[in-house]
Amino acid sequence: MPAQRPIVYTIRGCDACVKLLKKWQSEGISYEERRVELSQATMDEARKYGDMVPIVVWPDGRVEQGFEGTLGCFI
Amino acid sequence: MLETTSAVTPTRFEQGLRYADFVAQAAVNRDKFEQFYNDSALTADDISFFKRAAALPNGPAKILALAEAWCGDVYRELPTVARIAEATGADLRIFLRDQNPDIMDEFLSNNGKSRAIPVFVFYTKDLRYITRFTERSAGAHAELAAIMDEVRSQLHLPPTATFATVSESERQTFLREVIKRITPRFPDWRKESIKEMRALLSSALAIPNQG
Repeated sequence: MPAQRPIVYTIRGCDACVKLLKKWQSEGISYEERRVELSQATMDEARKYGDMVPIVVWPDGRVEQGFEGTLGCFI
Repeated sequence: MLETTSAVTPTRFEQGLRYADFVAQAAVNRDKFEQFYNDSALTADDISFFKRAAALPNGPAKILALAEAWCGDVYRELPTVARIAEATGADLRIFLRDQNPDIMDEFLSNNGKSRAIPVFVFYTKDLRYITRFTERSAGAHAELAAIMDEVRSQLHLPPTATFATVSESERQTFLREVIKRITPRFPDWRKESIKEMRALLSSALAIPNQG
């Protein structure tokens, strides 16, 4: 069963991640956050999708990295 | 930096983590730290230079690092500095960026706007500031800028396009292409970092940049 809300891989110390979450919270977007700095398993999972957090995996399978004009953090 | 008002007092410096303790407490990337520690980018000439610098009365005897284990630039560069500290006998102390905002605030980059890491601050044995290296070398930054120009051209984007000014789909392609090009450059960028640290110390200590 595919996820019905975006999954976002983040690091709380990453400015781009914080900006993205703040924007989504202000827009009332529902999401599942997976913090890569907390576990190697989550870090490895994120690396399957990209090299730079935030990494967003949308329900339709699209993957986006970074946030708007802010480069994210290499993981 | 005003040394008289620095948060980095001798007592505080001693509270920093030693390299082995930093790696041990890391929740992620321990394998990367081990890989880059074992695959040292330092040459014999580099080691000779850093030893010579450290032997000076005003040479680098203490190194402060600001780091976080999740950061790619940190796991690529910090093991090099751990090797330098081992070779020279310098006391390397590592501070987690997000738990030490007062120290981080002293070493911001990008005109005080960025908390870029790693930061390596070289001090004398009595904690007088010598010089510092932040994130990646000037050569790496210049190469990144050139790669971005190449990708703009390849994607037929305006020369002034940035990640902020293109559409979301263009931005993702732009970013993927930039990452694809810079990733193979990381091994050389590690060497560039060493080169820059040598140049910084050579200039600050007024010694020849030779091993």
